Amino acid sequence: MNWIQVLLIAAVVVLLVYLLASRRKAQSRAWVKVGYVLFVIAAVYAIVRPDDTTVVANWLGIGRGTDLLEYAFIIAFLFTTISAYMRFKDLELRYARLARAVALEGARAPEDG
Amino acid sequence: MFGITTSDTRYDDVWIVVPAFNEASVIAEVIADVRSVFRHVVCVDDGSSDDTSDRAFSAGAHVVRHPVNLGQGAAIQTGVEYARSRPGAAVFATFDADGQHRVKDVVRMIDRLTSEDLDIIVGTRFGDRVPEGMPKLRRLLFPIIAKVSPASRKLGLTDAHNGLRVFDKTVADGLNLTMSGMSHASEFVALIVENGWRVAEQPVEILYTEYSMSKGQPLVNGVNIIVDGLLRGRMRR
Repeated sequence: MNWIQVLLIAAVVVLLVYLLASRRKAQSRAWVKVGYVLFVIAAVYAIVRPDDTTVVANWLGIGRGTDLLEYAFIIAFLFTTISAYMRFKDLELRYARLARAVALEGARAPEDG
Repeated sequence: MFGITTSDTRYDDVWIVVPAFNEASVIAEVIADVRSVFRHVVCVDDGSSDDTSDRAFSAGAHVVRHPVNLGQGAAIQTGVEYARSRPGAAVFATFDADGQHRVKDVVRMIDRLTSEDLDIIVGTRFGDRVPEGMPKLRRLLFPIIAKVSPASRKLGLTDAHNGLRVFDKTVADGLNLTMSGMSHASEFVALIVENGWRVAEQPVEILYTEYSMSKGQPLVNGVNIIVDGLLRGRMRR
């Protein structure tokens, strides 16, 4: 197995575990922001010096920088998908509780009940 | 008025929770049937677009109406929250609105709940004999699904997705279903394990009418139930 495969698999697993375990904490939201800043810096760098991505890719055992970016993109996409799914489920629950409160407020009881 | 009130006060501490979504054609009949034995029925109209709530109300049920459709799990939770806040409520039952359950099964389960010192009794379609009229594929798959769920395997339950359950105040007070859709059945079983509620199964008969069949779940929805079950532990309660 070459380096990139090990790295990619590890990244996916770590992201998944981290996301599921500590999604709620303010700390994890902070790390998401740090990650975003790093991503922006890396993106600007890659745009300015596109050939450098190939150098990094070669260190990791991949031929082209484009491929490296593609892999990174796939991981980022997975991360986003899962986090959106979890967030959605969470909102659904709050929404259900809100609707329930409204429903209980307007309950109708029969006269002999 | 449909309201047939019985002079019998034996079951006055019982609350029957009937979650209903677009069941206008059968709801009055089902509520009247339940009301022939039990005085207190709460019908949770899960945001129906037809007049399910009005019909349930004139049949003598308490009616709680979700402003939007949330799913059966949410409806059960709402009904239980309503019922447990009523003075004197001690025994609770969930009962499907499509007429697939029999009132006499509920009576038997309630009598057993009090005599055997249990917290909850769940209905099973796989009790003493092969369920009559149950489609073959379901007959084959349901027991397998019940065994796939770790919680239900631990309790030795044979039918995790039966809508008929009878339980006491301990269970009603502790109930907190977060899965709004059809995954609530497995969540119910998981809650039984987590809270250590004393549970037993009761063979019940399901009336597979054409109507109840048309309202049934496509089997592929089982995939949702499995995924929700895996993620459940990750959700904030």
